[in-house]
Amino acid sequence: MNELTTTTDTRVRRPGRDGAFDAALDRLAPGRVPDRPDNPDGHVTTLRRMPAVPAQYAAFPEVLDPRLKVALGTRGVSQPYTHQAEAIEHALNRRNVVVITPTASGKTLCYNAPVLHSILQDPSSRALYLFPTKALAQDQLAELQALCEHIAGATGEQIGVYTYDGDTPQDARRTIRSRAHLVLSNPDMVHSGILPHHPRWAKLFENLKYVVIDELHAYRGVFGSHLCNVLRRLRRICRHYGSDPVFLCSSATIANPRELAERLTEQSFEIVEQSGAPRGEKFFIFVNPPVVNQQLGIRRSYLSETRRVASEFLKRNLQLIVFAQSRLSTEILTTYLKDDFENEPGQPERIRGYRGGYLPLRRREIEKGLREGSVRAVVSTNALELGIDIGALDVAVMAGYPGTIAATWQRAGRAGRRASRSAAVMVASSAPLDQFIVRNPSYFFDASPERALIDPDNLHILVDHVKCAAFELPFTPVEQFGRHDVQEVLGILAEQGLVYRTGASDDPDQPSDEGQWNWTSESYPADAVSLRSVSSDNFIIVDITQEPRVIGETDFTSGPSTLHEKAIYIVEGTLYQVEKLDFEGRKAYVREIDCDYYTDAITYNRVTIIDTFSEPAVASNGEVHVVSRVVGFKKIKFYTNENIGSGELDLPEQQMHTTSYWLTVPAELMGVLPFASDDRRDGIVGLSFAMKQVAQLLLMCDAHDIGISIDMEEQSPRIFVYDNYPGGIGFSAPLYRMHDELLSATQRLISECPCESGCPGCVGPVGNTGPLAKTAALRILDLLLADRIAA
Amino acid sequence: MTMNPVRLRDRLRGIVKPAATSPAASAPPSAAEAAAGGSAPAVAPLPSAPAVRRSSGIEDTLGGAWHERGSARSFVVRRRFEADQEYGRVRVGDVASALESAQGGAGLVATGTPQVPFVFFDLETTGLSGGAGTHAFLVGCASFDADGAFVVEQHLMTDYAVERSMLTCVAEDLSKAGALVTFNGKSFDAPVIETRYLFHRLTSPCTHLPHLDLLHPARRFWGGDEVLGCSLIALEQQLLGAHRLGDVPGFEIPARYFQFIRSGDAQPLADVLEHNRLDLLSLAALTARLLRLINDGAEAADDAREALGLGRVYERAGEVARAEHAYERALDLAAEQAEARRRSLRPSGEWAWTPQGIRVEALRALALSSRRSRRYADAAARWRQLLDLPGCPGAIRREATEALAIHHEHRERDLAAARMFALKSLEAGSEAAWGDAVRHRLARIERKLLSEQPLLPSLPSPQPCGSRTSGRRTSS
Repeated sequence: MNELTTTTDTRVRRPGRDGAFDAALDRLAPGRVPDRPDNPDGHVTTLRRMPAVPAQYAAFPEVLDPRLKVALGTRGVSQPYTHQAEAIEHALNRRNVVVITPTASGKTLCYNAPVLHSILQDPSSRALYLFPTKALAQDQLAELQALCEHIAGATGEQIGVYTYDGDTPQDARRTIRSRAHLVLSNPDMVHSGILPHHPRWAKLFENLKYVVIDELHAYRGVFGSHLCNVLRRLRRICRHYGSDPVFLCSSATIANPRELAERLTEQSFEIVEQSGAPRGEKFFIFVNPPVVNQQLGIRRSYLSETRRVASEFLKRNLQLIVFAQSRLSTEILTTYLKDDFENEPGQPERIRGYRGGYLPLRRREIEKGLREGSVRAVVSTNALELGIDIGALDVAVMAGYPGTIAATWQRAGRAGRRASRSAAVMVASSAPLDQFIVRNPSYFFDASPERALIDPDNLHILVDHVKCAAFELPFTPVEQFGRHDVQEVLGILAEQGLVYRTGASDDPDQPSDEGQWNWTSESYPADAVSLRSVSSDNFIIVDITQEPRVIGETDFTSGPSTLHEKAIYIVEGTLYQVEKLDFEGRKAYVREIDCDYYTDAITYNRVTIIDTFSEPAVASNGEVHVVSRVVGFKKIKFYTNENIGSGELDLPEQQMHTTSYWLTVPAELMGVLPFASDDRRDGIVGLSFAMKQVAQLLLMCDAHDIGISIDMEEQSPRIFVYDNYPGGIGFSAPLYRMHDELLSATQRLISECPCESGCPGCVGPVGNTGPLAKTAALRILDLLLADRIAA
Repeated sequence: MTMNPVRLRDRLRGIVKPAATSPAASAPPSAAEAAAGGSAPAVAPLPSAPAVRRSSGIEDTLGGAWHERGSARSFVVRRRFEADQEYGRVRVGDVASALESAQGGAGLVATGTPQVPFVFFDLETTGLSGGAGTHAFLVGCASFDADGAFVVEQHLMTDYAVERSMLTCVAEDLSKAGALVTFNGKSFDAPVIETRYLFHRLTSPCTHLPHLDLLHPARRFWGGDEVLGCSLIALEQQLLGAHRLGDVPGFEIPARYFQFIRSGDAQPLADVLEHNRLDLLSLAALTARLLRLINDGAEAADDAREALGLGRVYERAGEVARAEHAYERALDLAAEQAEARRRSLRPSGEWAWTPQGIRVEALRALALSSRRSRRYADAAARWRQLLDLPGCPGAIRREATEALAIHHEHRERDLAAARMFALKSLEAGSEAAWGDAVRHRLARIERKLLSEQPLLPSLPSPQPCGSRTSGRRTSS
């Protein structure tokens, strides 16, 4: 058992800290400090040193209110960094701006300064802040209130800052509506609680100067497509009240921040990318657990590897945060580390777990312990990825790749003081995406390939928001909303009696611009629209272990594959088994169960092309019809991912229209492959498995956001990568444009994989595909890419 | 990206259709409802082509006229219920005179300082959810005239475009009101109409008017009947003996309005207007009854519950003597009712409104009231009476024993009695925090006992609750 060396004040800057780093790094990667490129053998595959960067300062813009400058000065900000000054300058000149900021570079000043300036200049000014989660809003509230207290103390100007979300008590809402200069909220609340009640918020909408959107990159896929429509509604209401707010956004590093900001708000943007914030020296380390079964490509458990890495730092008294992928692995790692570093009795606990579901009081206590240094290590889910103030730690260890490059940098940013060394370690699991990143570090360290994509004109989403907009304010007969003809949408809503055009001329041949479309339904449309899913149709999950209670919901599309009978459904680490799926009633009845496996549905898809948007070629994109049916399921053992059983299912077919990218392998190419037809087929299957992983990376999406289907019917097989949402969510056209990158990255994923003939990290586990899948897939890719070069 | 219009329309139809069938909007009136509705026209599925154009004949269909208020105009339907008209067991003129004689009592149950004339106020809306898309399409205002007749004026929003003009006229009419009387208006009618005024950037006339919302006192005095609940319709049957024929069920009202908007045919609205008028009339009659009761005092109460309700009203208004009298009266009436009940063996409803429940409430109110006015001996007597009641709920027992323990420890200085009540209190409590507080008190009492009477025989362990508390330290 190890002992933590403790001192009474661990925050004291000891010369030994850098020494401790050197020792820990040397243990992990002997003889390889400082910089070195990749080393495919050994557990540490990459070690990058990022040198310290000094601060770059600029002056506040001349026009900035002097009272604000004084208040900022007393808060320790007498001089802004260059990027802050640049962003403030844009904002004061009423230019929309998106700031790309690493963690702890002072992004909040970029928007707080112009917002507070506008209020000091004109106390009737208002601003709306949008955060993707309630916790982030709470965290900003504290900072803003402290700043406003300084201003009030020095100038007597009272600036009201309030959060307004689902937790705001009813009786406080009226006060907030009348007093708040700054409203801190989230898109869901704006959608269902503020916009539909805009008359009560007239003061806000009349005087709205700024809309702040924090964590812009969080708004991609379905959520982003909804937010775009919420912002369309917001701007529509602002026009009604005569205001035209400026948008101030901040985003993590992604490939297309400006494009995302412009698509979300439908406004043009300035971008501020160069951070002037200082940074201490930082080491970034990738660890790939060793392969323990070469044939099956199974690696040592990444959790054990994480435990080992964390211990090296912990026993040298470096303070660290460990990020786990799930609540369950959070608990496991916490237990491991507590076992290794048992507390002295009577001392405050030094190893803590942290995740959603803990009581607020306990969370505050852990946060405080981290800031003060009494907590030496915290194991957390992504709950601590953003916002929450826990001070800066020495080391961040990630158990598994967090899913996106942006999230990885954000988690890594939790370690790092401005003046001293820090380290971030990513321990790869055997999941394909983890393996791809760990083997292709340039994807991670060089320009991010991640694109945040949305499709706000998805008809399902658009129609829902047109309803909400019509409820909020009648549409005029010439008004536009989105890229489709909204008058057509309104016409169809009128057929269903949801709206009625009043004051129009009776003669259909003489359309007039008179009158308006009024909402003629007693429903409250925002209630039926969740910003987190495409259609309001969903399955409810009912726990019948004791008294029946609803424990969750799942959107309609993924219902059959996750809630079929005997499926294992996991909430907060608790396992439930589905006993009965009431498909018509859209209910799944589950019961708590203790088991060591989860289930993976076997789905058969058939994709039919409806319309091709591109010229006939190897790569295409267009509209497709997807018929899918869940036919069975596999039982997969936790941690080892062994297949330990299966079952058959009989569930109704699901159909959807969506958009897709597809690859057509030319018949000539198939003809020259030196394999039997079964092996060729395996090659195509393996290729599609690998392509999906890479597409997921390029599209910055989750595994269930895209679907894969193969059409082997013809001479020239097709691989479809489709948007797994009715109507599509904007992935396929960009993927079509990234076709070359998709192929070359897939080639790299497969060719660089050390397995013999396929594993979960490349073309899929042996057993799913044949023995030649890997070889055949690679051959097909080589030929496709060679053609590309020849052409 | 741009789809041709025909294709777009097909796609949209596929998307919109399933989502549009909200259960309330699409529920056709059942056969039973249609039968009850008599001549009420069934709400047809939404017509695709407008049949009749608007503005032709609403005046005739509904019997109203356009009123001009300055530059604004509004379509108003005006009806008089004459003083000698009967409504259930009451006469309209009697309601008027009851109100006139008892209007002073309104101050005890309204916000602000109500003045005459009272305007009875009730909206019919396009939905119940509130928000920018919920409209008040019918604004019913009513008051009594000098002849004792009940005059109802209903403003109808004949088209969405006239809403602003209608609201202006309503504000003009309400400017003469001295108080607003509603049923559930604080939670519904007032916020809904306020939102409409805000929507049009107009000042709402309701915001600063004194407001008597009958729902809350009605619940206390009469509501909660296990069968009928506390709806206006239930109360009018129970208290006024009025029965409506062919009344429009509330859920059907928005659909009827939308049908009118599409077709221009006002016929489906006729019954809605009648429904609104009867709501107003019932509201007035019930208000009169309430104010009369407040005015006449507990002697006029019909049953224990009304007397208890009166006690509360007086107490809140600071009239201690009247309140205590009402509570005493409630106790007497409850005893009578309990006797009657025992004979008739009627099944009892909600416990709180059984004679037993009312006795507990009234005794507790008397005890608290006595303590507030420093009549400690009276208070103690009431608490003792409470403890003697069979079936007194645990929470009240706890409160009573604690009050008595305090009383005996600090005022009577009878430590033995204090200790006895503290022990009883421990039996009555069930929460750990409660137990800790009581044990703290017990420990102190026993220290005092020991110092005053060192020769007292040894005390039993002050842990009567057995294993639950074993192992806890009971004294410092």
